[in-house]
Amino acid sequence: MIHAIVVGHAVSSHCHPSLKGCKMLLCQSLDASGKPAGAPMVAIDLFGAGMHSKVFVSTDGVAARGFVHDEKSPVRNFIQGVID
Amino acid sequence: MRIAHVIGRVTLNVQDPSFKGGRWLMCNPVDAEHFNTACLTAPPLSKDFSLVAYDNLGAGEGDIVGIVEGAEATAPFDHDIPIDAITVAIFDSLHYQPPA
Repeated sequence: MIHAIVVGHAVSSHCHPSLKGCKMLLCQSLDASGKPAGAPMVAIDLFGAGMHSKVFVSTDGVAARGFVHDEKSPVRNFIQGVID
Repeated sequence: MRIAHVIGRVTLNVQDPSFKGGRWLMCNPVDAEHFNTACLTAPPLSKDFSLVAYDNLGAGEGDIVGIVEGAEATAPFDHDIPIDAITVAIFDSLHYQPPA
């Protein structure tokens, strides 16, 4: 699980069928002090995380496939929770 | 998923039999500062190394694509296939606004 902040979103009309209808958010991973670290990534969001909210991003493919209910989905990053 | 700019195609002559019919794209990761304009004007080449990704979507040169790397890249296939990166989305627009 990666501690990250939502920094934007991506719109795609042509994507893998398992991603149809999923919100894709740009997430910037954060280091221990809360500063940005590394390049932003795209994560699937089913919880409705807002702009600049702190989130946990999972990078587990098996969990992600269960998350989108498609055993043949290539999805890997998904938002697991929004941090209060 | 990483965001990358398609900068070319790769054509194979001798290849693993499981690659038959596959399309391969040369992709260069897009720097975060060019996310907002990437879908409108071609972003400059980033310092990150480019990668070759399997393409099932029909992305072409100049498109901004989402690439999944790692074991998950093989998930959509019925057969075993030795690939490490696959395009999963062609982006129409990107909105990037880092916190001030």
